[in-house]
Amino acid sequence: MDVRFLQISADAFDPEAAHKTFRDAVKGAGAIVAFTGLVRGADQDLTLTLSHYPDFTEAEISRIATLAEDRWPLVGWSIIHRVGPMTADEPIVFVATASAHRRAAFEAADYLMDYLKSEAPFWKSETVGGKQNWIEPRAQDIDDKKRWSL
Amino acid sequence: MDILFFGRLGDVSPNISAPLPEGVIDTDSLRVWLSRGNETLAQELSKIGNRIAVNKTIITQNTALSNNDEVAFMSPLSGG
Repeated sequence: MDVRFLQISADAFDPEAAHKTFRDAVKGAGAIVAFTGLVRGADQDLTLTLSHYPDFTEAEISRIATLAEDRWPLVGWSIIHRVGPMTADEPIVFVATASAHRRAAFEAADYLMDYLKSEAPFWKSETVGGKQNWIEPRAQDIDDKKRWSL
Repeated sequence: MDILFFGRLGDVSPNISAPLPEGVIDTDSLRVWLSRGNETLAQELSKIGNRIAVNKTIITQNTALSNNDEVAFMSPLSGG
């Protein structure tokens, strides 16, 4: 497998363009699954701010992706993650996986997202009406990750 | 050494760049040193779910430290 694309971006990104770039890179794959996470809260005056630990965050995501490579026969993967302040409807994360058949691509993308939620070094806070709150993984996020335990 | 704080922990302490404090030899004693005189940080550091990295490797046990180390105290991770 030689299509590995990882970007931590302080700028807004275009998931459709990311999908096309990935699709072009994995030509010949039989299946691509792509997920885009968006900032919720269009009905509030909300700012979501993500921070990361430069170099360490990239290394940990690569480590998580390697676990996915070991588990499913992937042709490639792409992960883009925003950092910095963002507002409702902006993309936060893009995950795409490609494989010869759909099941591996579906499962690997699901796995990567579950691990990004609670194992990748990011910290998330939301500011609503001038009040900042840190957002930590929910019990559901922890349970989602447990699905992949062997 | 460099001591970094991420997430909620970053709200209660600035990052620190200083020689290894006297009496600090490992991550456990560093945590005690940081907690001394800063009750808010002491409370945050004791919370379940925090992680510690030494030189960008997550540790799960008390780890010896030297002057050149980078230690990161991280509140629970939350991406995606």
